Amino acid sequence: MAERNLTYEDLVQIVELIRTTSQFSEFRLKVGDIEVSLKRANGAARPAVPLQGNTDVEPATPSSPRRKSEVSVSENLHAVRSPMVGSFYRSPLPGEPPFVEIGQAVEPDTVLCIIEVMKLMNSIEAGVRGTVREIFVANGTAVDAGEVLMAIEPRA
Amino acid sequence: MKRFDFVDVTLRDAHQCLWSTRMTTAMMTPILSEIDRAGYSVINILGGAVFDVCVRYLHENPWDRVKLLCERLATPCDALTRGQSLYTFELFPDDVVALNAQLLARLGVKVFTVYDALNDNRNLESSVEAGREAGMQINGWMTYTLSPVHTDAYYVERTRELLALGVDYLCIKDPTGLLTPERGATLFPAVVKASGGVPVQLHSHCQSGLAPKVYETAIRSGFSAGYTASEPLANGASLPATEEINAIARKLGFQTSLDEDSLREISGYFRWLCLREEKPCGKVAQYDPALYEHQIPGGMISNLHYQLETMKLGHRLPEILEEIARVRKDLGYPIVVSPFAQYLVTQATINVVQGERYKTIPDEIRKYARGYYGKVAAPLSEEFLDRLNLRSSELVTGRPGEHIEPGLPRLRRELGPGASDGDLLLAAFYDKALLEPLKRPKPEYRFKTSPLHELVAWLGARRDIEHARIRFGGTDMTFSA
Repeated sequence: MAERNLTYEDLVQIVELIRTTSQFSEFRLKVGDIEVSLKRANGAARPAVPLQGNTDVEPATPSSPRRKSEVSVSENLHAVRSPMVGSFYRSPLPGEPPFVEIGQAVEPDTVLCIIEVMKLMNSIEAGVRGTVREIFVANGTAVDAGEVLMAIEPRA
Repeated sequence: MKRFDFVDVTLRDAHQCLWSTRMTTAMMTPILSEIDRAGYSVINILGGAVFDVCVRYLHENPWDRVKLLCERLATPCDALTRGQSLYTFELFPDDVVALNAQLLARLGVKVFTVYDALNDNRNLESSVEAGREAGMQINGWMTYTLSPVHTDAYYVERTRELLALGVDYLCIKDPTGLLTPERGATLFPAVVKASGGVPVQLHSHCQSGLAPKVYETAIRSGFSAGYTASEPLANGASLPATEEINAIARKLGFQTSLDEDSLREISGYFRWLCLREEKPCGKVAQYDPALYEHQIPGGMISNLHYQLETMKLGHRLPEILEEIARVRKDLGYPIVVSPFAQYLVTQATINVVQGERYKTIPDEIRKYARGYYGKVAAPLSEEFLDRLNLRSSELVTGRPGEHIEPGLPRLRRELGPGASDGDLLLAAFYDKALLEPLKRPKPEYRFKTSPLHELVAWLGARRDIEHARIRFGGTDMTFSA
């Protein structure tokens, strides 16, 4: 056979064989007219340097919500609860002012906060007319279903 | 002799489906000249996910990639946008949409492909107008799905709308591989008949395992071209293999311009790339009837299961899958693609967990129901409408882009007069912090390679090898550390 070129099929076979024999310090392969011999450094194989800079940065996996002690809300206050497991946000977008502050008067349809569930945003409304008395959860924290977020003192 | 043409998706949708879109420009450049020689009529190089992953994860400037690929490829390059949403799922103002088309044309894009995930073709108007004005050919896609309202007549109607926009090509896009040869046998001739001679193309994925038969039906029905990928990056969630569809077309007596030696060289390179980068090759999917019930792609189900596990709700997955089908009906049968697939999954999860349907409705779903993103395919259910409690003032009836303030004057003010069009657009899409890494120097690109070159480079990068000798034919090479 005259001069031949190495094919991608040859290459794939050779590299698969080299990879599967990484525990041996010597490697010799002869297939047809192709011969490959390798000597590896003594001791455990050091990790290979990737050919291409691997700049892959995977998004952080969501951490499971922490178990928190139930907040008690006195009887004369209206508790606003999270409808779902999710993340609590006090403002519409990062860097913007919060929807409400303690002491602020609210209407039933005033948006108090956002609960993010699986990347979708759920605006949480006050449900009653009154005044925000307490905010129990810090911005950006994970909340459970039914967890008390805020307390409102109703007003007639 | 009748012809059938091929659009390559190896550099775009193939790795989007199989490698989470992680193919870098450096992985593409060594094989570009061979792809150019293979005889594809068009090469698709850009889409929403490619653009986004370039910025967020690969830290490459997507405009640089587009420019380089267009310079290196003599075959016309195709760029795909989601109409008014461009590369994301938000709606952008008309001036930003127009600037994007102008920039793509200037970078060398010849075919400008547009689609809207709701098939509301009003969302394509400003893209089509700006793209044509910039000198690109326009390729209008319509998205296929299964529902009582997505009939053949529905797609004939969409075909007429796209023709009214003046598209140069039409295409049926089947994002989750739901088409069957039986449906194709009625749908394809209906669309070809309505096309008035404008070439019709097929872009279908392989999740059901039926795509090659569906392509065969399309070829028989008079479609002009099909989108395909090099064999190692075809099948599974990707598109069919160029090699396989080429063989089918030739067997049916169609002439194709593909060069089989080139295709072999290209598939050899990508098979090697899968091994070198430790990424999966595409595997032929087994026929799975469950796909037709909830239509949620496999990748999304495993992701949902993972998310539910973190909320300790993994055991409720079967209930949630059933609820997804009901929610889809209530929401007027949105097509199960991003971002609507996410809407269905999340609303179904909330409904099941709360034990009361639509007690909580995410803001984005409310916006969708208001018509903010475009026309909904079928009427919303009474139960859903009751819970939405929309005021008539909230309803959006005009073209969605009309309601969005121009974006460029503000961006020009912020970035100053020296800002390039590319920078203005990136600033319209992303936060500053995300764009910082794009300024890093680019790697040296190689524009040719060979199996021997790849072997030597691979061995050279391995620290554990201190001596290597390779002999074949008349070649004898020795390396020592």
